[in-house]
Amino acid sequence: MKRLLIISGGGLALIAAWLLSLPPELQARERACVPFHLKTEDGKIINPITGENADQPYSPRQTCGACHNYDEITKGFHFQQGWDRIRDDYSRAKPWVLSDGMMGKF
Amino acid sequence: MAKKKNEHPDQIDLTTFEWISVGPRDPQGMNLPTCGSCHPGGGGLEFDRDGKRYDQRLKAEPQLAQTLDGDYYQSQWDKTGVVEADCLLCHLPGYNFNERTRQLKMLNYKWAGTAASGIGLVSGFVRDGQQPKVTYNRRLFNEDGKIVLDLSYPPPAENCVFCHGISDVKKRGFSWNDRVNHDVHNAQGMNCAHCHPAIEDPARRITRLQHQFAKGDENVSTVRDDLDHVGFRNCQSCHDQGYMGAPRPQHLSIRPNHLEKLACEVCHIPAVHRAGFEGFDVTTGAMVNYPTMLPAPGAGKLGDEFTWRPSYQRDEKGKLWPVNRFKSIFFTNQDKDGIHYPLFARELKKGYEKAKEQLKPKNPQKPELHTPEQIKIALLAFKETLQGNKRFQQIRPFFHKGGMMYYLDGKGELVSGPDTTWAGHSEGFNINHNVAPASLALGANGCGDCHSPQAHMFKGQIVTDMFGPEGKPVTISSGRLFGCQPWVFYVNQFHQTYLTPYVSLLLLLLVFGLTLHYTGQGPKGADFTYEPATIERFNLTERWTHLIRMLSFFLLAFTGYIFFFNNVTMLRMFFSTPATAVVVHWVAGLIFVAAGIVAVALWARDARFAPYDREWLAKRGGYLGGKEVEVPAGRLNAGQKIFLWFTAALTLIMGVTGILLIFKTSLPLSLSCLLSTIHGFFAVIFVAAVIAHAYLGTIANPGTWRALVDGKVSRSWAKKHHSEWYKEIMAREEKEKGAVPPEEKA
Repeated sequence: MKRLLIISGGGLALIAAWLLSLPPELQARERACVPFHLKTEDGKIINPITGENADQPYSPRQTCGACHNYDEITKGFHFQQGWDRIRDDYSRAKPWVLSDGMMGKF
Repeated sequence: MAKKKNEHPDQIDLTTFEWISVGPRDPQGMNLPTCGSCHPGGGGLEFDRDGKRYDQRLKAEPQLAQTLDGDYYQSQWDKTGVVEADCLLCHLPGYNFNERTRQLKMLNYKWAGTAASGIGLVSGFVRDGQQPKVTYNRRLFNEDGKIVLDLSYPPPAENCVFCHGISDVKKRGFSWNDRVNHDVHNAQGMNCAHCHPAIEDPARRITRLQHQFAKGDENVSTVRDDLDHVGFRNCQSCHDQGYMGAPRPQHLSIRPNHLEKLACEVCHIPAVHRAGFEGFDVTTGAMVNYPTMLPAPGAGKLGDEFTWRPSYQRDEKGKLWPVNRFKSIFFTNQDKDGIHYPLFARELKKGYEKAKEQLKPKNPQKPELHTPEQIKIALLAFKETLQGNKRFQQIRPFFHKGGMMYYLDGKGELVSGPDTTWAGHSEGFNINHNVAPASLALGANGCGDCHSPQAHMFKGQIVTDMFGPEGKPVTISSGRLFGCQPWVFYVNQFHQTYLTPYVSLLLLLLVFGLTLHYTGQGPKGADFTYEPATIERFNLTERWTHLIRMLSFFLLAFTGYIFFFNNVTMLRMFFSTPATAVVVHWVAGLIFVAAGIVAVALWARDARFAPYDREWLAKRGGYLGGKEVEVPAGRLNAGQKIFLWFTAALTLIMGVTGILLIFKTSLPLSLSCLLSTIHGFFAVIFVAAVIAHAYLGTIANPGTWRALVDGKVSRSWAKKHHSEWYKEIMAREEKEKGAVPPEEKA
């Protein structure tokens, strides 16, 4: 019995080690967020249970940004889509094109 | 999008404020995404071009809404708030994308994320002059007021396709989680993030946190091209290494140059099963999309279940890719600086409303500018309605359609010509998804999948103009778009359509003809096979030269046959891989050419034409007519002389084209196509000539073959077939006898 427990425990430890060694995208459920407070754009807590600021929309900047680096994340091209490069004189050949992304392309 | 600085309202297209919410708001169109639906927030949806938050700045400087600032002109940022990056759009399974669109269109910018995530109900719309209010779903909250959300990392594919599904089915026909438009990777449970993970690249100082998602190099879009392929898992990065259990294909039956010149997608996405868009027409001021038009009668609407085959396009490295070539129909104005400026939607609408009075289209929402008369009416209307437009110094409207541009000359007459402006340049959207199982890939059933006369690869019809003068699509053969000259395409089609299918028949007819000759005319003269051979006809060098030519020719013909008919079964049976067969072919070819040069050196003297050859030719060598006739001939008869020079010429042609084709991947496409056709055409003639030669050298003239084995022939044979040569031999022998010393005679 003891040997069985040792073998089972060792096996589970190996499986856990293997799971942790998987590429991050395969560890999908490992990083789900813990329960958190929603916050207004002013950074105030929204608490629908107590009614505190409960008619205000939540702000991703304040809510997600409490744990994650919102400014760093939104530098990604999915968010910027050329906005970080936009300027009125971006193209001389096509003056209506203002950036290389989808914002200001037409 | 409007520039930041403007001098007149005419210069302002969509401001950033308007851009977020633009789109139809009627019940049918409400769910059609606006620009802000897919731009997830942050960036230009949160901060202006000076880096300041819109809502805060407009509150501080309310007069900005009255200026011509492209970020604030007629805006209400102070009431709508801004669109912050909505993390839940990607990470929350079950996110309501349509609700996001509805909220944005109703100017509830800062409320959109709350409503679409389902964590709260939003009542009231800014567009209706109301102050929206939120009622949160308390069942999602713990007693301490903290929310519990089942977020997904990485994002589920369903969330990615909120935006990419819409745009990609439109541009390329892509779909995901679609049993109709299947994808082998999807079937294996893979998600978008498996191939498009967040980039982690210390050398570029990019961390996963920055949310730079790996991408390929989509032809048309240009956003962050410097990140193309960085961290991206393409076909090779998984299938070369077996990553995630990806099978490692050997492609044994595929020619090596195909693997170099064709993207994997060319063969592995033979068809797409959702209608993409053939193109768009913005003449009315609204975007009118046309779904895939071929095969006729075309799809009913975008995204319909509809099977179509891609077009193909080369990248800058010459590699072929499957694409959807979209066509655009639109108007520009050539300003004083010579630049063709696309017209704004409102300018188009105004012009088209004017033109519509004369055009009287059947469907007012679908313009019909097909005939020169219709185009002229529209151009005149645009010229009139653009007068006084402050964003132009000169009014000269152009109509762009199907690679042509149309405009009015000084007398108001319509002029047309090839579209040499930027508007005439068309790129195809890459097709990379909806990968078919290997058993459906092009080539799975042999080379004929592409190289048969009617195969889509070359002969499939591709739309070049959605509406010709008769309102029907104008098409072109797919192969015409590969980058070769049109005449080369037709030469290649001669090869595919006529040469390959009929060459077997021609060779069979030749063999049949020889059989008829043998049974009708019969072999020539008596059988000298068993007579003692006393005259040396060919020395060892000559025999070996012939033997080497014969063996190498056999190898060339055999491998050539495999290539000519793309016989994969025989290829795998004898050579395992195309690469081996190709090397055998060109090595045998080089040996054959070398042996041919030696043969000409050896027999050139004997192959000089003599007066008695006229008689041989006049009597056709005694091979026709049914009667045995005597024909004079030297060491080589006239037929053999012709054969030697003819095969020397063929060897030269085959050698030059063949040696160049060894390096075909480095040659221009037009040249390699031309060389291939020449090589194939003369190969057929060469094989036919050699079959006839073999017939004449064996059963048609019994006793001849031994001359190439031991080199000797009988006197009777020599006298019969090469009378003039026999006379020379006799004379030489007489001379040699006469030269014998008297003492030996005694």
